[in-house]
Parts: sequence; structure tokens; C-alpha cells
Amino acid sequence: MSPRTTSPDLRSALAALPRNIWASIFRHPLPSTDLGRAQTSFTNFFLHIHPVKVHRNTLRPAYTLGLGLTSFFLFVILTVTGVLLMFYYVPSTGQAYDRMLDLRGSVAFGVFLRNMHRWSAHGMVALVFLHMCRVFLTGAYKPPREFNWVVGVMLFLLTLFSSFTGYLLPWDQLAFWAITVGTAIAGYAPLVGQQVRFLLLGDHTVGQEALLRFYVLHVAVLPLLVAGVLAIHFWRIRKDGGLSRPDEGADTLAPAPTPAAAVPTARTTYGLMGFVRGPFAARPGNGPDDSVYSWPSLFQAELFVFVLTIAGVLVMSLFFDAPLEEPVNVLHPPNPAKAPWYFLGLQELVSYSAFWGGVGIPTIEVLILLLVPYLDRSHRGVGRWFARERLAANTLFLIFAVINLMLIVIGTFFRGPNWAFVSPW
Amino acid sequence: MWLSSAALAGSGIISAFSNVVFLKPRATYGLPSRFGIGAPDAYPSGTRMSLDVHRVCIVREGRRIAAISTTCTHLGCIVGLSDTGFACPCHGSRFDHDGNVTGGPAPRPLPWYKVSLAPNGELEVDTSLRVDPGTYLNV
Repeated sequence: MSPRTTSPDLRSALAALPRNIWASIFRHPLPSTDLGRAQTSFTNFFLHIHPVKVHRNTLRPAYTLGLGLTSFFLFVILTVTGVLLMFYYVPSTGQAYDRMLDLRGSVAFGVFLRNMHRWSAHGMVALVFLHMCRVFLTGAYKPPREFNWVVGVMLFLLTLFSSFTGYLLPWDQLAFWAITVGTAIAGYAPLVGQQVRFLLLGDHTVGQEALLRFYVLHVAVLPLLVAGVLAIHFWRIRKDGGLSRPDEGADTLAPAPTPAAAVPTARTTYGLMGFVRGPFAARPGNGPDDSVYSWPSLFQAELFVFVLTIAGVLVMSLFFDAPLEEPVNVLHPPNPAKAPWYFLGLQELVSYSAFWGGVGIPTIEVLILLLVPYLDRSHRGVGRWFARERLAANTLFLIFAVINLMLIVIGTFFRGPNWAFVSPW
Repeated sequence: MWLSSAALAGSGIISAFSNVVFLKPRATYGLPSRFGIGAPDAYPSGTRMSLDVHRVCIVREGRRIAAISTTCTHLGCIVGLSDTGFACPCHGSRFDHDGNVTGGPAPRPLPWYKVSLAPNGELEVDTSLRVDPGTYLNV
């Protein structure tokens, strides 16, 4: 008698099957208490990247504008649409262009997927740049976030290189001549330029080898690099104490409270708290009033940004088709032969001097960007847009950004055949 | 400790080096650098004919023949023939009839290639051999 009551029989196990499976996947019901809210963030693989609680400032839409998050979601959209496009694409000079036409004619949603991929790529370049502007203008690169700014600059360069390699794949006139010009610029680098160009192209001119190499870089090497560096970028946000916020400079200037210093004996066992730079709860200003639980506040905000991002991409893809020019004709460059818009500033510079425009000035610009947090050591004005204390730095950065944007505008609208100056009106 | 660090660094250097060697192709599939362009009679005196496939321009003046590169020395676009010589559609470089830079961002004049007469009586251009500008082959 007693065994039947202690061990559940098959029937009751079957009856409880859905509930048990559900409970084995999701360990907690939807939270109604603070403990539950914390557990939900903590025990879910996808949510545990987030802290359990975040500072209110993190959620202010007017502070971050959701630019970094939008860039990440665009990367996700690019990965998904890119993998789908790979099912129909062949990296061969004989077939690539025909496959583009097939996307139009014989693949369900083919054009739409290509549109999504193209517009997301353009959007990602633009939003990574805007995200960088936001971080600069709010002074968010200051200690302890210097290195994450450097990681961000690397991500910006990887984004540009991903776009550049993807540009060749349709194998149309635009692609071929943009890559011919782009790789010739690489050839101007001192000492190793010609070797780098030869490695990149696998030949002396843009051809089958170059198409295959750019394809492998575009679908395997660069996405993996971006994903890896992105992981470091996100990890560092948390390790550096979350998003930047106002009046944080005062906190970081004060010596961080270290539990080890309180009990200076050799036999102390140290908690992990001792290793974390400025543990969240130990910081002044992180009292209960200034922070909110990630569930649901942060996740709602992220979902909102995601919906907005995907809606934007869908609307763009519905109304505008990604350009596709004539198939490659290696004998007749279009006049003018233009690179993608984000490289037209570079091309404008290159029209004055190939070395300085294509290698010298871009290298100096990247070096300046990388060194920004190490040159500007003032702790003032962190976490506010256009802080008065940062007037000089912000003005310099805006001039820097506007000059680059102006060059792009000139290259896009004011250059005609033979790269002669034309009026767009 | 030191031994394993050295081994680790060494294998890292070797693998980086072998990757570069692996990625550098030993044979390329592009166009050959030496090619025939037909009999000299195909180019009457005064001809300036651009062979876009091979990226050279064949010039004949009287009994003299030469081959001038049509790859722009700026960023590798194909220059077109113009009234004053050559013009590049990409960034507006201009060259005179002998390939000297007359305007635009091109840093160097267009190179001249070696032209020779093959035993079968056809002309042969070798784009891997450069000659001084003004060097003609007499036919």
C-alpha cells in the first residue's frame, strides 16, 4: 500500500507533464515580488547579461536615445537576413549577378530580404557613428570606461569593413569599381601596401579570387570578429559600472570602498565584491531610490527599441529597393565611379592625394579617436549632454564630425563625371 | 613556465606566418602578363588603340610602335582616350599622349610596356617588363 502513495504512478506523471516541462525550462513564474524580479533576470540565460537592477538614468530615452542598442539589433537583423541570403548566393563571377536577378524573379521574399540586409547595413554604419557621437557628447568615455571606448572604435572599423566586403558580392558595376578603388587605396599604405592588396585580392586585379575572399571575410571572419568584440563591449559596460550617469565623477574620484581594507588580516577570505570595481550597491547614489529592477523596466525599454528598429527596417525595405546596377564590365568604369556613401568622404579626400586621403588622414583620424579617452583626462561633465565643462572637447568633436560629414555630402551630391565639381540643382 | 611560454609564443608566430603564406596564392588565375596583339599591319600609322581587356593602349607613329598602360596610376581605374591623351573617369586624372600627368591626383605617369616581335611575325606585349617612356619598337 505504502509504495503506491510514495512513488507517483505513470498517469499522474503524464498529467503533470506539460507543467513539469515548463517548470524545468522556466524556473520561476512571472515575478510579482522584488525577489522574483531579481531571480528572473538572474536565472534566464538571455536576460542574465543584464544586471538585476539598473540606475534610473540608464532608462532615460533622452540620454542614450537607444543608439547602441539599435546598432546591436541591426547586427542581429543583418545576421538573420544574411544567413537566409546565403542559401541562394554563389560567390562566383559567372553566377553572382544572376543570383541577384534570381532573388527578384524566383525567390519568395528574395528582394525584400536583400532590401532588409542592405538598409540594415547602411543603418548600422550610421547608428554606430551616431552612438559614438552620443558617447562623446555625454562624456561617457571617461574613466573607468576608457577601454570600452577603444573597443567601440574597433567595432566601428569592423562595421565599415563588413559593409565594404559585402559591397562586392552582387558583382555589379558599382561593386566592382568601388572595390577596385578601395583596394587600390590599401596599396598606398607604406611598405606593406602592395602585399596587403595582393593578399586581399588573391590576384593583381579584382576577379574571382577577390570575390571568394571578400565572401569568406563577409560571411564568416568579420561577423565572428564583430560578435566577439561585441561580447567584450557588453561585458565591459557592466564591469565598468553600467551606463555613465551624471555626477559620477565625484564617486570615482573618491577612493572605492574595499572590504579587504576594513579587516587587514592575512586570514581574511575575500568575496568577489573585492575584485569588482565599485560594486553597485556600495556606490554612493545607488540607493534604492535611484535604481529600478531590470524586469520589467529595462526589458520593456529594450523591447520597445527592438520593435522600433525592425519596424524602421521593414518600412524602408517595403518602399525602397536596394540598388543593383548593370553586371560587371571590367572594360568600362562608370563615370563617375563612386564608392558607398560612407566612403565618399574618403574618396573625396583621395581625389586630392591618394596617400594622404586614403591612408594618412584616415590613420591619423583613427589614432585620434582611439586616444581620445587617454588625452582628455578631466573627470568633469560626465553623463550630461553638452555639459558646459566640456565645451572645448565637444566643440572640437563636432567640428571633426561635421568636416567628415561635409566631405561625404560633397562626394555624394557635388561630384559628377571625371569627379568634376557639379551642382546638384 | 618559461619554456612553455616560449613554446606558446613560438607556435603563435609560426601559425601566424603559415597563415600568411597559406593566404598568399602561388598561382593566380587572372590574365597572363605576356600576350600577342596581332601583326603590325593591324595598326596603321597614327593609331591609338586601347585594348581594354589587357589594359594597354597600342600607339603607332610611322614605323614605331609602343604600348602604354591604361591602368590609372592613382587608384587603378581604366583611363579612356581623350583629345589630349588619357582621362580617368574615377577621380579626374589627366595624362598627355605619352602618359605624363597633366592634371588630377595621379602621382606617376602611365608606364610603358615592352613590345617585341615574336618569331611568327606577331607583336607581343609583356606587361611585367616596363620600359622608359619614349622607347619604341621599329617595325
